[in-house]
Amino acid sequence: MNKNSILLLKTLLLSTSQRNIFKYSTDKKKKKRIVWGYIGTTILYAMLVAFGILICVGYGTYGFIEAAPVMCALVISLLAFLFTFFKTNGYLFNFKEYDMLMSLPFSSSTVAACKFLYMYLKSLPWYLSISLSMMIGYGIYAHPNFLIYPLWIILAFFLPVIPMLIAAFLGFLVARISAGFRKTNIIQTVLTMLIVILGFSLRFIIEGVFKNNKVEETLKKASDFTENASGIYFPARWFSDSVTKGNVLSALLLVATSALIFALVFFIVGRSYRNINSALKSHAASKNYKMSGQKQRSVRQAIVFKEFKRMTGSTTYMTNAGVGPILAVLIGIVTLVAGFGRIVGLVVHDVNFDIGMLQPAIPFVIYFFIGMLATTACSPSLEGKNYWILQSLPVEKKTIYQGKMLFNMYLTVPAMALSTLCMCISAKVPVTDMVLYLVLGFALCCFSTAWGCVCGIKHMRLDWENEVEVIKQGSAVTIYLLPNMLVVMGLVVLVVFLGTRLDHKLLALIFILIAGLLAGLSYRWVMSMCRTGD
Amino acid sequence: MSENVMLEIRNYSKSYAEGKKAADNVSLSVMSGDIYGFIGHNGAGKSTTIRAVVGVLDFTEGEIFIDGHSVKTEPMECKKITAYIPDNPDLYENLTGIQYLNFVADVFSISASEREERIRKYADLFEITDALGDLIGSYSHGMKQKVAIISALIHSPKLLVLDEPFVGLDPKATFTLKEIMHEMCKQGTAIFFSTHVLDVAEKLCNKVAIIKHGRIVSSGTMEELTEGHSLEETFLEADNE
Repeated sequence: MNKNSILLLKTLLLSTSQRNIFKYSTDKKKKKRIVWGYIGTTILYAMLVAFGILICVGYGTYGFIEAAPVMCALVISLLAFLFTFFKTNGYLFNFKEYDMLMSLPFSSSTVAACKFLYMYLKSLPWYLSISLSMMIGYGIYAHPNFLIYPLWIILAFFLPVIPMLIAAFLGFLVARISAGFRKTNIIQTVLTMLIVILGFSLRFIIEGVFKNNKVEETLKKASDFTENASGIYFPARWFSDSVTKGNVLSALLLVATSALIFALVFFIVGRSYRNINSALKSHAASKNYKMSGQKQRSVRQAIVFKEFKRMTGSTTYMTNAGVGPILAVLIGIVTLVAGFGRIVGLVVHDVNFDIGMLQPAIPFVIYFFIGMLATTACSPSLEGKNYWILQSLPVEKKTIYQGKMLFNMYLTVPAMALSTLCMCISAKVPVTDMVLYLVLGFALCCFSTAWGCVCGIKHMRLDWENEVEVIKQGSAVTIYLLPNMLVVMGLVVLVVFLGTRLDHKLLALIFILIAGLLAGLSYRWVMSMCRTGD
Repeated sequence: MSENVMLEIRNYSKSYAEGKKAADNVSLSVMSGDIYGFIGHNGAGKSTTIRAVVGVLDFTEGEIFIDGHSVKTEPMECKKITAYIPDNPDLYENLTGIQYLNFVADVFSISASEREERIRKYADLFEITDALGDLIGSYSHGMKQKVAIISALIHSPKLLVLDEPFVGLDPKATFTLKEIMHEMCKQGTAIFFSTHVLDVAEKLCNKVAIIKHGRIVSSGTMEELTEGHSLEETFLEADNE
């Protein structure tokens, strides 16, 4: 890295540093929000650390602790891949200060590489908190040689690099292909979605390969899947060999391969970087509009339409907001075609039990996808510099947020309903239960929408540099997303357990009441914030 | 190419994926000491041409040279001697004005004493010195424009490219910028800028090009172009042809 690369990287970090804003801002409200943001982030880090240690406790208790490093490598690699892939479009390409940066004496590959390193450094603390907590857990159960610890710490910095580079390169390919089309945005969104869906299906594809190779017996053990996966994804194996066997060669291989792929990727990306950004950032006006009959909408519907156009106008927003509903629908359709039993069999290998006991979990499994990102969590912040438009309109705040919530309902409810119907039909759920699951799904959508809006308003941030900052890593989205996902995962287990003791209809009714109550409370909170002008 | 041609655009064309041409066979030359105005309607192709000149926008047809260096093959050489002020400066909102100016000065390796002298000079001229410690996000559009202008002047470029530089500036800052442009022109800097304000172009520029639907319809020295008429009349005449 030359002097200018380091300078650019430092400036990129400084330009989004909350500490810098806190230091120089005179806005007390903003400063307060930053402090709360830090507190929230610390809690989330603590949750991740607990998650890492708990995984090791699980592995250690059942005598599989040697599989923990591979698991650690795979979890971090998967997270790094997915998070980077979703962010690549907004960070590497189509970012707003592109003109300013490219007019300065930086080469294209320097700009692209610094943008990547910025992404890496910003997400590194998340990966380190998982990796280092798993190192502690591993240390407690495996009692490794003391030298393993510094090796683990060093390699923890390299673990996310390769998957991030793969994701960035795929993002580059998507942008490269889309750049050649007229409807760049749509092509980019469709390709991104396809890759994400392929990524989610990969696990089942890999398992299918193993099954065809008659090795399914080995999958019975909890650690064997990760072992097999590390056979395919070599960096995970190298990491594991380094920290379990003290294999320095494997450690060097991981470091050298990361550096080599980095150089290669940014050599390739740099060559067509300007070309891609030129295509993404410049469009000719069609100038063929003919004034025809205009439609009048209600104020709320006008806001819904505005939200729809905001979403479809941004690949980053559309892929992040759309991936949950699309995955929910796909899983529903796949379940209907392949059969509920077969899909369950893929997840819980060869364990003999009555799959009927899983029926109460259907609404929560679907909600896991549907509730991945409520648009209401990021849409208040996404107003950004255009916030004045809404503020200057003669529209009450509550109407604005009702419009935003209505849009999220339009986006999630049809997907939830279709997916629930498909799964229920496939699982042969009785009609009354099916209706109750649909109502529960609806209540969960209401909760997700209203709770997302609470987070969105409470942690509204209008001074972002790049929309990815509020769509993927804003405080509002993080505070909405992580607890929501973790609670839902817990609820899936709880509801299956309760389903063995309580009538499924009664159980559904209880959860409808709880979700409805939480949705109502969240909605009231939103309305009260609108009144107080929070 | 003669020695004092600072910017030469040769048969430059830019097509969009939609197939439309934003710039069609544009050719012009800006010499050292020229203040060259680039005028045209909204969407005529001014910004597209300017963005290609400063190396932001890729193009396939034609050539652009800055001080004899090709923008396509020697972009770094070109960028080192060029400064660009976009029409709507997207600066880092969470940096303070002084942090941003130091960043640009660092990029161009300007020594501490030189940068201090230049920042002080231009910040005083634009009456923005007091605000340099505040976050750019808290600035008005005009203040951001002033910071962008100072950052462009900080490394004494040989070619100054400005896209609608007077939009958002208060009358005093507009006057100051015009004075600075004159001063730079005397020192041999070439200035190429787009504007809608024909009065300003008429008083400021020694050369002008009128662009319409991506094509240069008229260009030359102010005297050759206007032939005794006002620039406004000349522009409207060219527009009606």
